Amino acid sequence: MTASILIIEDETEIRRFLRATLNANGFTPLEAETAHEGLQKLIAQRPDVIILDLGLPDQDGQDFIRDVREWSQVPIIVVSAREQEADKVLALENGADDYLTKPFAAGELLARIKVALRHAQRLESGGGHTYDYDGLSIDLSARRVTLDGGDVHLTPIEYKLLSVLARNAGKVLTHAYLLKAIWGRHSTEQNHYLRIHTQHLREKLVDDPLAPRFIITEPGIGYRLKA
Amino acid sequence: MNTRPDPDKLLALVTADEGRLARGSLKIFFGSSAGVGKTYAMLAEAQRLKDDRDILIGVIEHHGRAETKALTEGLPVLPLLEIDHRGVKVHEFDLDAALARKPALILMDEFAHTNAPGSRHPKRWQDVEELLDSGIDVYTTLNVQHLESVNDQVARLTGVWVRETVPDSVFDEATDIALIDIPSDELLKRLADGKVYVAEGANTRAAENFFKKTNLGHLRELALRRTAERVDAQNDQLSAALGHNEAALSEKVLVLVGPDSFSARLIRHTRRMAGRAKIPWTALYLQTDRHELLDQKARLRVEHNLRLAERMGAQVVRINGAHAATAIITYAMANGFTRVVVGNRKAPFWQRWGKSLSQKLIERGDGLEITTLSADYATSEIAESSRPRLTTPLIVPLVSYAYAALIVAGVTAAGYPLRGITDPDNLALFYLTGVVLVAARFGIGPALLASVISIPAFNFFFTVPYYTFNFYDAHYYFTFAFMLVTSLIVGSLTARLSLHARIARKSERETRLLYDLTRGLSSVRGYAAMADVASRHLGSALNAGVRLWVSEDKTLTAFPDAPVDIKESGAVQWVSINGQIAGRGTDTLPSARGLYLPLMAENKTLGVLGLTPQDDRTFTGADILVFETIASLIASALQRAQRADEAEKSRIDTENEKLRNVLLASLSHDLRTPLTVMNNSVSTLLKQRKKLPREAVDELTGLWGQMQRLQKFVTNLLKMAAITSGQLKLNFEPYLIQEIIGAAIARVEPQKERRQIRTQINGRIPLVMIDGALIEQVLLNLLENAFTHTTANGVIMISVENDADRVRVRVSDDGEGLKPGEEDQIFEKFHTHQAEKSDRAPSGTGLGLAICRGIVQAHGGMIYAKNNPAKEGKAAGASFIFTLPVAKDQAKEL
Repeated sequence: MTASILIIEDETEIRRFLRATLNANGFTPLEAETAHEGLQKLIAQRPDVIILDLGLPDQDGQDFIRDVREWSQVPIIVVSAREQEADKVLALENGADDYLTKPFAAGELLARIKVALRHAQRLESGGGHTYDYDGLSIDLSARRVTLDGGDVHLTPIEYKLLSVLARNAGKVLTHAYLLKAIWGRHSTEQNHYLRIHTQHLREKLVDDPLAPRFIITEPGIGYRLKA
Repeated sequence: MNTRPDPDKLLALVTADEGRLARGSLKIFFGSSAGVGKTYAMLAEAQRLKDDRDILIGVIEHHGRAETKALTEGLPVLPLLEIDHRGVKVHEFDLDAALARKPALILMDEFAHTNAPGSRHPKRWQDVEELLDSGIDVYTTLNVQHLESVNDQVARLTGVWVRETVPDSVFDEATDIALIDIPSDELLKRLADGKVYVAEGANTRAAENFFKKTNLGHLRELALRRTAERVDAQNDQLSAALGHNEAALSEKVLVLVGPDSFSARLIRHTRRMAGRAKIPWTALYLQTDRHELLDQKARLRVEHNLRLAERMGAQVVRINGAHAATAIITYAMANGFTRVVVGNRKAPFWQRWGKSLSQKLIERGDGLEITTLSADYATSEIAESSRPRLTTPLIVPLVSYAYAALIVAGVTAAGYPLRGITDPDNLALFYLTGVVLVAARFGIGPALLASVISIPAFNFFFTVPYYTFNFYDAHYYFTFAFMLVTSLIVGSLTARLSLHARIARKSERETRLLYDLTRGLSSVRGYAAMADVASRHLGSALNAGVRLWVSEDKTLTAFPDAPVDIKESGAVQWVSINGQIAGRGTDTLPSARGLYLPLMAENKTLGVLGLTPQDDRTFTGADILVFETIASLIASALQRAQRADEAEKSRIDTENEKLRNVLLASLSHDLRTPLTVMNNSVSTLLKQRKKLPREAVDELTGLWGQMQRLQKFVTNLLKMAAITSGQLKLNFEPYLIQEIIGAAIARVEPQKERRQIRTQINGRIPLVMIDGALIEQVLLNLLENAFTHTTANGVIMISVENDADRVRVRVSDDGEGLKPGEEDQIFEKFHTHQAEKSDRAPSGTGLGLAICRGIVQAHGGMIYAKNNPAKEGKAAGASFIFTLPVAKDQAKEL
């Protein structure tokens, strides 16, 4: 069964090219012109991924994300002409899975869709207890990290950071999200600690920030573990 | 009794101390007379300190004494200013040069010196105040006879009246007093040896008189006592703050001040009394009806006396009241005074009816201690204390008396036809009417005249026998007597009433003026309109030219704008900087033509109000009081206007920002959406290139390239718009710069072709405080710039090093390098490399580097470019270097 992708976008031309691209790559496109229509199709047809334009005529895209997240975990990829990092961070914090700035290339969008689908499957299968990428394996149930076959010893905070990244592998996690996940609610101001711990984690994973092997920096937004 | 230390008072003491620290400290070398060695002691101390501190000699009078002169060796001397005063060259201390030179400590001999006319301040102690205010420490010398409060005592002791005085408050507030004391015998010996300087041309007999042994003893005693009092005063402040309240605090003295110079003695006396017993004191001026009758000189003397009291530390109060004794007693009781000091002046015999003020106070001042000081005419200066002259009642223009006579004649003429028809007694009432008229119009003097001449006129014209000064009927004795008494009483009452009416009208006029001014000011907008309102309302009422200077961003703008001469504009500048009144009628720059008042609101000088009288009159203290009220009204109006302007500006700014954001958002949406579609259409087509004719593929490839270029241009344009609009909001976060560099390198991967990007990290790099996304943009632009200027096999090096509180990032390429003089231009908007002006160039929107500069500058960093040192005579490419601020909190190692 092919995955169905719901495109919520008011520009006809963009919808047309997205439809063509998705069709050509074996996905089933669904289309909606407004937030309202999008919501109806989401309920009726249960798409696997949503591609959402933030500038909709009847509702602000950010509000739409918040509304959907109250009852659905369907992956949402935001496509927007808004380039401000603040918009991206807000969308991600509201629950979007990824963010693409217009103009974007079709190839990039397809890659993001694939990551989103994989992530959703992992969540659904209830599995996702392991992460394997380029010699780094993480066994989340055994709390064991190996790199190129050798054990890596991490402090509790470093492990927590890595495991949060691994559970969401491929997805950008904002600074605020990471801080909250690791230190709890009230530590969102302590960006310094996040930097220092990330730096230590990278050293142990032999991950050069100048040419990262695992942890990707998204300047102004957060971190992403390669998947 | 509450003996707990009062924290507020202690704090006030501490902050007063701090204020003193910021203000520069004053040390006074204090002695009983000339010749005790004050200047010597001051110089000796300066010599001790000179290696540690920046000491400057402002003025030293060594009077040719070699040992004193020797002590100035090695101390820099400020050249004196040459002032040309009516053809005579006078040398004075150069205040502006001293302020500009700003030494740590300046030596200023002869604290009480009077400056030459035309100097900024009339007195040297005022120069010293200004030096202290600008944070310079001052050493100075002072003899006891120059202290204001003991001035008259010295005069009575020695018979020499010293005109150069220093206010006691300055003395009391000095940081340090060094008492220089030598025994009188020794001083006399030094005098005999010619070691004491006696002013040139000074009356030698006066000098001899002054330096008598008894006098010297008195002066020593005064100096010692005054020094001791000061030490006491400081201890008291501290002990009061610590809760050791002395009984003295419940006592309060009131001194009554009048328009004569005897009052000055009362003030000095009270100061000494209150000072010794540490009692707070107040100088009171009672404004009775008589005040309106005082001549200009007497009014000036009142202000003079009140200012003297203020300088000696008194509170100054003016109250209105018709009955002196009642008003004074009511005020004293209501305000908790325990003692009233009143002068008892010897009145001329014709005024000795009734009780003197002091007698009335003693009778009615229930529970008050009344101290009476008798006028003493012994000292010449005091004898000069001309009694205040009253302008009215009697001194009115002679013509008023002529009018009085004329009115009496008129009454006679009007009554003449009635003679014989009506009883002559009725005609007496006619004259009474005439007297009332005269009293109402011309005051008491002419009314007296009218009363007096009415009697013979009545007698001459209306009593039988007519046209003689005789009369038959004896009852006319009574008629004349009643007529005289009645007309005198009615006349004086009427005169007094009309005087009251005049006073009321005057104060109503003042109130009216202020009210109109306030209303006028609040109804207009803009400084020019305000100045217009002020000059319209004040100009005619005060008979003076009115001008407003508004200071904005440290520059003064005049309304109305017309040239002023250099002296006046100097005064305006001074007022604006110092926030104090200056010009005509004041102590600062008194030779200026106009009077300049600071417009102060919330301790900020918003501007200056200038008043230039049309005639040659000087302003009195009372005038200045009114002007100060006016200035404060204008200041608050100005402040309101400025606040409104600021609110309006910020409202417009917010609106503009909103509009700009909406515009940018929709522009970016409208430009990017079609670009996305076109881009993807072309790439979809290109994927099927095998099915397309070769020409079509070529065209599509060209189209694709141009679209990439357009895309980049749009992105840059929008970024640039955000930066130049000043709306770039930086989201500062700590970053490891390597992370940003890594992200940028990954992002340019598709564009770099076969070029190599190498990195080099020198040493440990601290976290930087940056907006990560924007700095990534800087790196992207620099990398793209490097790509355009290198061959496909080029090598690009990114290196990072730490330099104190900055991190320096360098992007160097091995391209053709920069042209000479291009290093700065390339950061300008729309500057493109000369060689790149061909259509085929893949980049070169001319915005990339300008964006870099905008972003780096917004981070408080620097960006610049330079060529790499040439290798083997060949260009070795260019380097682009920028710096970033290090994060303050490095959260060290965890």
